[in-house]
Amino acid sequence: MAARKRASASSDASAKPPRNEEAVKAEPKPAEAAPIDPPIAPPKLGFILKLSALFLAPYLYLILRHFDIDRELRRSILINAGLSLAGFFATVKLIPVASRYVLRRNLFGYDINKKGTPQGTVKVPESLGIAVGIVYLVLAIVFQYFNFTADSNWLVEYNAALASICFMILLGFTDDVLDVPWRVKLILPSFAALPLLMAYAGHTTIIIPKPLIPYVGMEILDLGWIYKLYMGLLAVFCTNSINIHAGLNGLEVGQTVVIAAAILLHNIIQIGASKDPEYMQAHAFSIYLVQPMLATSLALLSYNWYPSSVFVGDTYTYFAGMTMAVVGILGHYSETLLIFFLPQILNFLLSLPQLAGFVKCPRHRLPRFDPQSGLLTGTNDGTLVNFFLRAFGQKTEKSLCILLLLFQAMACGFCFLLRWLLAGWYK
Amino acid sequence: MAARKRASASSDASAKPPRNEEAVKAEPKPAEAAPIDPPIAPPKLGFILKLSALFLAPYLYLILRHFDIDRELRRSILINAGLSLAGFFATVKLIPVASRYVLRRNLFGYDINKKGTPQGTVKVPESLGIAVGIVYLVLAIVFQYFNFTADSNWLVEYNAALASICFMILLGFTDDVLDVPWRVKLILPSFAALPLLMAYAGHTTIIIPKPLIPYVGMEILDLGWIYKLYMGLLAVFCTNSINIHAGLNGLEVGQTVVIAAAILLHNIIQIGASKDPEYMQAHAFSIYLVQPMLATSLALLSYNWYPSSVFVGDTYTYFAGMTMAVVGILGHYSETLLIFFLPQILNFLLSLPQLAGFVKCPRHRLPRFDPQSGLLTGTNDGTLVNFFLRAFGQKTEKSLCILLLLFQVFFILL
Repeated sequence: MAARKRASASSDASAKPPRNEEAVKAEPKPAEAAPIDPPIAPPKLGFILKLSALFLAPYLYLILRHFDIDRELRRSILINAGLSLAGFFATVKLIPVASRYVLRRNLFGYDINKKGTPQGTVKVPESLGIAVGIVYLVLAIVFQYFNFTADSNWLVEYNAALASICFMILLGFTDDVLDVPWRVKLILPSFAALPLLMAYAGHTTIIIPKPLIPYVGMEILDLGWIYKLYMGLLAVFCTNSINIHAGLNGLEVGQTVVIAAAILLHNIIQIGASKDPEYMQAHAFSIYLVQPMLATSLALLSYNWYPSSVFVGDTYTYFAGMTMAVVGILGHYSETLLIFFLPQILNFLLSLPQLAGFVKCPRHRLPRFDPQSGLLTGTNDGTLVNFFLRAFGQKTEKSLCILLLLFQAMACGFCFLLRWLLAGWYK
Repeated sequence: MAARKRASASSDASAKPPRNEEAVKAEPKPAEAAPIDPPIAPPKLGFILKLSALFLAPYLYLILRHFDIDRELRRSILINAGLSLAGFFATVKLIPVASRYVLRRNLFGYDINKKGTPQGTVKVPESLGIAVGIVYLVLAIVFQYFNFTADSNWLVEYNAALASICFMILLGFTDDVLDVPWRVKLILPSFAALPLLMAYAGHTTIIIPKPLIPYVGMEILDLGWIYKLYMGLLAVFCTNSINIHAGLNGLEVGQTVVIAAAILLHNIIQIGASKDPEYMQAHAFSIYLVQPMLATSLALLSYNWYPSSVFVGDTYTYFAGMTMAVVGILGHYSETLLIFFLPQILNFLLSLPQLAGFVKCPRHRLPRFDPQSGLLTGTNDGTLVNFFLRAFGQKTEKSLCILLLLFQVFFILL
């Protein structure tokens, strides 16, 4: 049910060169420039730089000056940050190369929200999440060499996390290529989450919020297998909810970047404020997996931000959702993660009637685009995108996306506020 | 440099239905039957049954009667075997479904070795290794729940193995879809092998063969990082060598099945003959990862055996090669594994001149097919396939493949 920007990804009538020709690169394609020229616009690096600075300033300040973090731990985090930076540049270089290959195999779409303008006839390469995913996996694998504080329990969780994320990228890319039915799409993340559930060596208890203790009768409730079920469902939810909160240039990557930044700030604050080494390790674990994701996602955003030169595909949304579910589970802060996901939850609730079939559900639940004015108008579909348009009036695609991302940031900020307010009272 | 059977995988002129149509399944395709009918021939299950019986008889005998294996261990092995059996049936059911999706996305090839006959015009779905890979991963992941003898070291190695194999399947499928340049193909397995190298908690020493001790001066030589380099190269070698020893219907899966059977027999013999629990655990580890691979590969072979209904793609050869490298490394028997790989080594050596560029290297190094006689003639290309044809005369594709597989068995028995 992803509100995809893609109208048609496969009705390309131009003959693709036969695969057994060595000279395939030299053959000019009828409707495109010679393949030597990059097929996509250059990355919007200036925009990314400003966005990163907005986040990096407080983050680095917290790591380096504000908190007194154990030296070994700080070093590991900074090494991981350096690796992630390298991954950023690697991804920026890889995406144009990958786009060429992807276009050659007819994995592209047309930007529905530009239909009627010249931009609406451009073939936009799809599934560039595969480039992000592969760089991410290499970064995550290599980082193990540099984490000197690893014990065997850590290695089990880390490798299980890698296996889960890798399997999810595989399933996401398979979905992008083969276009599997949506019922299959729903259960795929549960399979990918299995290594995670196996490796989860934590308690399956939840702490009852103080006000509810008189009603429940206990302070701590051991959920056992129900907790594992909850973790599996969390994985399914995170992946699919990002997938359906989409449809505008830069929305999928943008929301991931905002949530990832919030996650990192949350992690570093918890590390700084805590004295329990196991607790700090859990949040450090999350940092090690989210920093590379943030870096590679920013690289993708430099191409995907309005106007999009590439589309991200289910590969990316599944990868992002699964990574965040993994760190939320293994870092033991999944309730906080869910509050970061508030816009996604709202979008899911708004979408329920159509997803469940009570209300007619079209293939794309996108707003209506008017080529004359360049503005989007909200339809009656149950998505946050349309809801914002109906509530706030017509908007351009770019300003609507910015508005939605600000809403995301507000939800994250609200979470921080809530935690600060309830700190003594809740837990 | 895979000697692929595929002539053209992408020059399909028929328009593919637009992706935003919900009714895409109902639209009839111009050159195919209505998609409700299975697009491929039924599996050759009888053949697979006979082949499996040939291997299972001695294998089960060894597990159940001949060796006195610890009860817990035997139970884990049998649970894994049961899971693998379920995987076999799941894969048999999944492949026709996957074929439909794969054909719809124009991932297919024409069988070059049938060019000139009616069979040569059939669109054969490619990259069915993805179906095998996904079922395999689910089996391997689920098995963790049933292995009650797992300690945390075992879990690290197992999850690292899963991560490596999963990454290799991802890279293989990406290669099948995007057709990456061969130089990239060469180094991909090294990345996929990295989790493995990290998790390898064993010694990096080798035991010098007794006759060489006077020359080397030591009984045991600690190679340190060189051993890790060796492991990485082993991964690159296993994956790519299976990939280039290909080109006949059923050859890639067939050689994997033969080697996997040999691995399992080797593992069970070592378990039965040993008393060292760590040694037995290492070989059991190998069994847990190879049984599912054997089962899912047999399911694929039931469609891929001559005449092929599906092609396996680089997805499969990379998956198979990496799995075997993984178990060889983590089971600490990589030298034995290399002996199993002798035909692949021979093929690699024969191929070297062309791979290195000294001799001109065409896109496909397949033998020449004569549609009239149905026989293959060897060309001067440096592959084992062509070598056998030059040495033993013209053959049909099926008999040549059987001959090459028997050659594989012969080396194992040695």
